[in-house]
Amino acid sequence: MSGLVFDSIVKKFGDFTAVHETSLTIPQGKFVCLLGPSGCGKTTLLRMIAGLEDPTTGRILLEGNDVTRIPTHQRDFGMVFQNLALFPHLSVGENIAYPLRIRGGSKADCFKAVKRLLDLVQLPDMADRPVARLSGGQKQRVAIARALALEPKLFLLDEPLSALDAKLRESMQIELKQLQQKLGITTIVVTHDQREAMTMADLVVVMSQGKVHQVAPPVEIYRKPKDAFVADFIGSTNLISGRVSAAGKIAVAGGTLLADDLPKSGDVTLSVRPENIRLTKENGENSLGTLTGDVSYIRDLGASIEFYLNVAGQQITAITTPSDRPDVVAGDSVSVAFPKDACVVLGDA
Amino acid sequence: MVEMKKGISRRSVLAGIAGGSAVAMAGITGFPGILKAQEKSLKIGAYGGYFKDSFDKHIFPEFTKATGIAVESVAQPTGEAWLVQIEQAARAGKAPTDISMISQGMMQRGAAANLWAKLDAAKMPNVANVMPAYINKYADGSLCGVGAVTWYITLVSNTDVIKEAPTSWAELWKPERAEQLGLLALVSNSFLLDVTAKTHFGGQDILDTEEGISQVMDKLAEVKKNVQLWYRDEAQFEQALKSGEIPMGQYYHDVAGLAAADGHPVRSTFPKEGGINDSGSWAVSGKSEKIEMAHEFIDFMSQPEIQALLSRKVGTSPTVPRAKTDLTDAEFASVSSEIEPIIPRYDMYLQRADWLSQKWTELIVS
Amino acid sequence: MKIKPGKFSDYAAIGFPAGMLTVFFVIPFGIMIAMSFFQRVQGAFYEPAFVFENYARFLSTFFAGILGFSVGLAALVAVVSVLLAFPFTYILTRMARQTQVVWLVFLLSVLSLSEVLIGFGWSTLLSRTAGITNLLVSLGIMDKPMSLSPSFGAVMTGMVYQTFPYTVLVLYPALSRLDPSLVEAARTLGSGPARSFLNVVVPALRNSIVSTLIMVFVFALGCYLLPQLLGKPSHWTLSVLITDQAIYQSNMPFAAAMAVFLVLVSLSLVAISLLYGKKENAG
Repeated sequence: MSGLVFDSIVKKFGDFTAVHETSLTIPQGKFVCLLGPSGCGKTTLLRMIAGLEDPTTGRILLEGNDVTRIPTHQRDFGMVFQNLALFPHLSVGENIAYPLRIRGGSKADCFKAVKRLLDLVQLPDMADRPVARLSGGQKQRVAIARALALEPKLFLLDEPLSALDAKLRESMQIELKQLQQKLGITTIVVTHDQREAMTMADLVVVMSQGKVHQVAPPVEIYRKPKDAFVADFIGSTNLISGRVSAAGKIAVAGGTLLADDLPKSGDVTLSVRPENIRLTKENGENSLGTLTGDVSYIRDLGASIEFYLNVAGQQITAITTPSDRPDVVAGDSVSVAFPKDACVVLGDA
Repeated sequence: MVEMKKGISRRSVLAGIAGGSAVAMAGITGFPGILKAQEKSLKIGAYGGYFKDSFDKHIFPEFTKATGIAVESVAQPTGEAWLVQIEQAARAGKAPTDISMISQGMMQRGAAANLWAKLDAAKMPNVANVMPAYINKYADGSLCGVGAVTWYITLVSNTDVIKEAPTSWAELWKPERAEQLGLLALVSNSFLLDVTAKTHFGGQDILDTEEGISQVMDKLAEVKKNVQLWYRDEAQFEQALKSGEIPMGQYYHDVAGLAAADGHPVRSTFPKEGGINDSGSWAVSGKSEKIEMAHEFIDFMSQPEIQALLSRKVGTSPTVPRAKTDLTDAEFASVSSEIEPIIPRYDMYLQRADWLSQKWTELIVS
Repeated sequence: MKIKPGKFSDYAAIGFPAGMLTVFFVIPFGIMIAMSFFQRVQGAFYEPAFVFENYARFLSTFFAGILGFSVGLAALVAVVSVLLAFPFTYILTRMARQTQVVWLVFLLSVLSLSEVLIGFGWSTLLSRTAGITNLLVSLGIMDKPMSLSPSFGAVMTGMVYQTFPYTVLVLYPALSRLDPSLVEAARTLGSGPARSFLNVVVPALRNSIVSTLIMVFVFALGCYLLPQLLGKPSHWTLSVLITDQAIYQSNMPFAAAMAVFLVLVSLSLVAISLLYGKKENAG
């Protein structure tokens, strides 16, 4: 099987289980983000790939080969650490050439490689500079160049951009994505920033409390969250509980909503993204998929407008663009439409 | 046998080294003995450790009983530090003690600096008992010190390793003693120049001149290859001697006797050339205001009965002729010998101090 | 009227350390320097004077040899101590917190042993009659027990034993602050554990190592009891001779002159190694 495979991996630290039994396939050449709040086990997962932690049970396979017991230094995976871990006693060039030098690379080869890698990360002519005299962004690029020096089979990054300021972070995200596309290398990034994951990833692995919740492309994660945790963690959403009343129908407080992929019966939770909710002034009509509510507060952010609604005792948030703004004010009664394809049925978390 | 604490450096030779001088100073100034509420009292210094403890227990109470003068005893080191204290106190017009126990080298050094009160022999009839060798005088002939205690450094050996008792200091030069000897490390406390002169040059007269001393040193250099340990610390040698690690050397006769009495395979021999006889003297600080009582004390200490008491209780050799004491043969043998002693040439050690120490260090270090 | 705020307290803050430094270092060292020019009076004390004879006496091949030996011994002790303590401390800082505490308490208790105790302990351990060679004989490794002390090896053993806990405690903060990801990074880049220790941990802590070497060197240079207890006279250091002069020969001026010389030599060696280190860092 192609790519990186986790086969029933479990990691415990004493009594604490950092990663519950996980099986997962990361396809060759993809950019994958491990996303989740801090302490969710994503870094532990990454460190197991690198060989910095041993799985308690289970296997890790790369291109069908079991790498679980191969020591870190023989895996040839490039890794960028959260604090970058540049060697303070070496210059930029020496840092980048480190993996080549310890493999006995000649001075000339190292020099060429350093030049090529510095060009790649857009830091030409920096080879002789001590790392202490680099800016945050420059250090970031040096760490990336060093990790890529060996043309590794896997490129691992642990919260690589967390030390940068917001603006620089965004441009680095795009740069990193472009770099990955250029090199075609399987890349795994740990992050707690969902925007970062959405920006860069081909595939997002959402984790919490040592469990993988969903593995899917970013858009699918957003549009079709599998459970309440994913729905809530990625962007904001309205969670509405109800009971299946008939095929395609859910009885909720204040009326009936429509949705696809419903179970035959029982309680369900729906996720409805705020921007998919349509507001109109109350017109007495109470059709399927539409409920009646009051506007309690309107927050106008310029680029978007948020409506805080009270629908049959439940707080619902709706977002519109200025051009679609309905003609309502706080205190008005409104009709709240939940389009069928916007109502995503969630599984158990 | 007299009770004695073992493992404690008898003459506190190590006091200046082991604890560093700070500790020695604390011993001097930090804890003055508790003074009894009596009108007449004397502050008396004795070598800290074993000596002071024994004096406190057996000797000072006798003096207080006989004279009604209370004694406040002060622990003092044997070395230079104490003399410096007395000297500096004297400059300030004070006396750290009224009477101190002072080694011979220090007696002369103090005399040169005029530190000692002149004593009146007429007020101390018993001082006539003390052998002349133990009387200290100023250059003008006036009395400045009277022998307090005297002891011997002899040839000691481990009976398990060395079956036959050695009879002469010449034993130190024998080839079969290679790496078997423990000797004192300093020219001024080993007195090996005196020993060499007496053993190989027919007497100490050769030590009168530098050429003579150099000749003696050359002879002494032959001993070097036999020496396993040049010691400054008594306990280190004593332990090695008992275990047989270093089976022969020079050591204090009384302590070696105690070790033997405890069952250790140790013997002390007075060589035919004589044991090395060293002593401490009572000297009164020139700034003391209790000169009358001090005379009384020195007179008391010079009585043959008290000297015998010292031999029995403290283990020192009497400063008065044996005939005047009631010591039995066994008691006398445990502290002394009838063989004529080697009395160190203190004058030489003093006058040529720097030259000697330089030559000596070069001799044993190189 | 405007009062300059904080002015007085600023001075007070530096006043205390400055005062301590003056009282405990500058004044004693000043007295020592003054003393080293005093006139020694043989057979008595010394007199205030300004003479160079104490230094003149010191400037001989004999004392140069002793000084050279002392400096060499202290340097060797420092190097051996750091060579042993550095990997030890590195491993220690990677152990569980509780294990570290146990070790540190143990090392502190070794540190509390006096030089005398260490000297006696080792002279027994290295003796023919009760020493470790007896163990080797009973294990059949040696034919008969032998005496390993006094010897140069015994002096080295005793001094390294004495300086080892000190070295560990000086290195400990730097090593426990060392970012573990540096080693992990080296491993991901292809260095095995031993190699990453040598080409990342050691160079990254180069400055700590140099300053520890200097501290242990100075500490060892002042050692005067162990060379006496465990060495032959040819292993006596300048500190031993200074003690002899001060305590037994009552030649304070000469002892002071030797001590001043020793301080100057060690200061200049420290300065040279610091300068060299700086140059190396810059390059």
